[in-house]
Amino acid sequence: MKVRNLIFNMAPVLGLLVLVIGYFVVGTINGINVTYGLKAVVNQSVVVAVVATGAVFIYTMGSFDISLGASTAVSALVAGMVYLRTENLILTFITSICVAVLVALLNSVLAGVFNLPVFVTTIAMLSVLNALILLLININGTGSEVKVPSDAVKSLDTLGFKILILTLYFAICVFLFDYTPIGRRQKFLGGNPLCAKLTGISINKYSIIAFVICGLGVGLGAFLSIVYAPTLTRSTASSVGMDVIIAIVFGGMPVSGGAKSRIYAAVIGAFSMSFLSQIMVMFNLNSGVGQMVKAAIFLLVVFIAAGERKTRTLPR
Amino acid sequence: MQKMEKEKRTVLEVKGIEKNFGTTKALRDVSLSIREGEIRGLIGENGSGKSTVTSIIAGMQKADSGNMTYEGEKWEPRSMIDALDHGIGMIVQESGTVPGISVAENIFLADTDKFRTGPFMNRKRMTEEAQSILNGIGAENIHAEMLTGALDIQSRKLVEIARVMRRDPKILVVDETTTALSPRGRDIIYNIMKKMRDEGKSVFFISHDMEEIMNECDALTVLRDGEIIRTFEKEEFDEEEIKKSMIGRELEHDYYRTDDDGSFDDEVVLEAKNVTVHSSEPLYDLSIQLHKGEILGVGGLSQCGMHTLGKVLFGAKKVHKGEALIHGEPVKNEADAMRKNVGYVSKDRDTESLVLQAPIGDNISSGGIDRFAKGGFFVSPKAEKDYVDEQIKGLEVKCFGRKQYVSTLSGGNKQKVVFGKWIGRGSDILILDCPTRGIDIGVKQAMYRLMIKMKKEGKAILIISEEMSELLGMADRIAVLKDGRLEKMLSREEHPTEADIIQYMI
Repeated sequence: MKVRNLIFNMAPVLGLLVLVIGYFVVGTINGINVTYGLKAVVNQSVVVAVVATGAVFIYTMGSFDISLGASTAVSALVAGMVYLRTENLILTFITSICVAVLVALLNSVLAGVFNLPVFVTTIAMLSVLNALILLLININGTGSEVKVPSDAVKSLDTLGFKILILTLYFAICVFLFDYTPIGRRQKFLGGNPLCAKLTGISINKYSIIAFVICGLGVGLGAFLSIVYAPTLTRSTASSVGMDVIIAIVFGGMPVSGGAKSRIYAAVIGAFSMSFLSQIMVMFNLNSGVGQMVKAAIFLLVVFIAAGERKTRTLPR
Repeated sequence: MQKMEKEKRTVLEVKGIEKNFGTTKALRDVSLSIREGEIRGLIGENGSGKSTVTSIIAGMQKADSGNMTYEGEKWEPRSMIDALDHGIGMIVQESGTVPGISVAENIFLADTDKFRTGPFMNRKRMTEEAQSILNGIGAENIHAEMLTGALDIQSRKLVEIARVMRRDPKILVVDETTTALSPRGRDIIYNIMKKMRDEGKSVFFISHDMEEIMNECDALTVLRDGEIIRTFEKEEFDEEEIKKSMIGRELEHDYYRTDDDGSFDDEVVLEAKNVTVHSSEPLYDLSIQLHKGEILGVGGLSQCGMHTLGKVLFGAKKVHKGEALIHGEPVKNEADAMRKNVGYVSKDRDTESLVLQAPIGDNISSGGIDRFAKGGFFVSPKAEKDYVDEQIKGLEVKCFGRKQYVSTLSGGNKQKVVFGKWIGRGSDILILDCPTRGIDIGVKQAMYRLMIKMKKEGKAILIISEEMSELLGMADRIAVLKDGRLEKMLSREEHPTEADIIQYMI
């Protein structure tokens, strides 16, 4: 049983390992420059990995935020506009973080005030943010984009910088999740909110904390988006919201949250997705087919996870 | 007459059943049978295998080896639904209703299509039929159109019973169901069992309540550590002998307190002051005080307000008038009560006291994380392990280790985990709502020893209980509640009897 549990717990890591090996094998056989492809993998993964790592705190509580992609886009747009006015990258960075944290705070505080499930306020927030994206581009941009000069962020557009940001944020999140009462209590809340309440754990307080931590990740993701693609349009970070959900599930995170939540799920999932995409590109599969393959794997992962839970909850 | 009883036809036979969960042997070569018109009691300590063997019979899970015959044919149920289709129903120990749908829908769960005409559901007819089933088992006070989630634990259990009885089973398994029920609810179950026996049907009855199992059963099978130890026929029933078979030794020490000393400190540590709560189990202008070093019992009928009182004193229920005080200060909420060193063990263990889908370690440490986290912020894995292991060892929780999921534990061991959660953080005041509900005599005795030890250490315990013997055996004073009001305060020195309590609670 222990071996079986170990294999199941390690499955996401093993899955990533298989994809990495597959990527190198298929790339080498096809004579593709795998080093260049690796850079693309990091560029594709890093924003999703950062945002999703923060989102794990929300998912752990059995909650959900559908507005993460839109929040990333708004934070990037406002930060981009600040750069255009000040030409100060540090201020741009701080703005990106502040806007994202503010949106996260609004989501969680409103839910607390109106006594609503948090995901309900994030649905409303998604509409507001989508409207804001259009408004910001129209008012402050050229009408279709907000363009930060690429030279301004060129020095930061390196794998080293991106991996550094991801590593630092990931380390903070691991610490908060596994080594402080914050993560422990959030897991407990995700497992049984009523029991958590009767153990003195405040749902509102830990919701706000989870959203603020996630907001920090969204802010970082927004800044990395500016660095990678300084011309900000309506499609900036448009797929981030959905990619975050897929990455978290790919990484072995239970959708219901609770004790089995794993902070590393987001990073594993984000990189697994990117390697999978690259392998499909190598096989010349078009993006439509690629999306369908991803959807099939998504369903398979959820199915296996659900089955595993059933077999482990038998009565004595 | 007795000879004739024994000659009754065997309806179901289990032979050489084995079941393992990982490295744990849950059942070892278990063989047993049940006759028509028999109520067979199954008794044993928590984790002895009672629920496992009956859940295999009722199709909830499969045995690793061995075989079963039912009505003379090989019996291999594919699921609980399959078993029920063939006449074997089970009322499970844990809650088995869906909260978000009506009582009627729960009763006809997975069978609502019979009320469908094309795309339309005839809810009126379904509700009427459900109400008739409820009335038939004696649960007229439950309205079939109500949302199940709005019912209390007892009523939800009765809905489950109605769901199974609707199918008119030939064999019924009642798995520790009575622990969730008041005396009235218990009577409903007893009547159902007796009626089945009179109709030549059979019942497996699992309970930890020695008195009820001896009263209600025709024969009694004792299990210990997954093995059948002995089957007692009615004429062989002897409480001490049964207990000895259950735990494999004589019960050492006394079960309850033996002293008559009902003294305690003058210092009031917990107080309800003119408390009024408007709820399904209301309180009216209730005042009660718990002192340092006191075990205060609270009893009454199940809806008398005693469970509400427990929640009010822990800050988990809003007070409409009056106030709840801890050391003279108003309690704001659960976190505030915990800061003031109060612990609360809920009656509804699985829903309110535990995260079932989490390890033992997470459950125990959840109560005391502020105690072992360095600076209240850094959770050292070693400090946490030491903290949890100390509770597991101290309370003798039967488990593989702290990583084992609580859902896999027996009722008594689950309750030990709940105790570990509150004792580990050094709670000075404990509010225990039906703390020994559904646990075996061995664990019960351990819990009582613990309470006596805590009293000696100057800690204060408020024990809410539906078992009068528990209140009489353990409390310094007993507050008898009736319709949300304090009816009488009885003192240990007065040597109150069960009749005294009943006189004031009814």
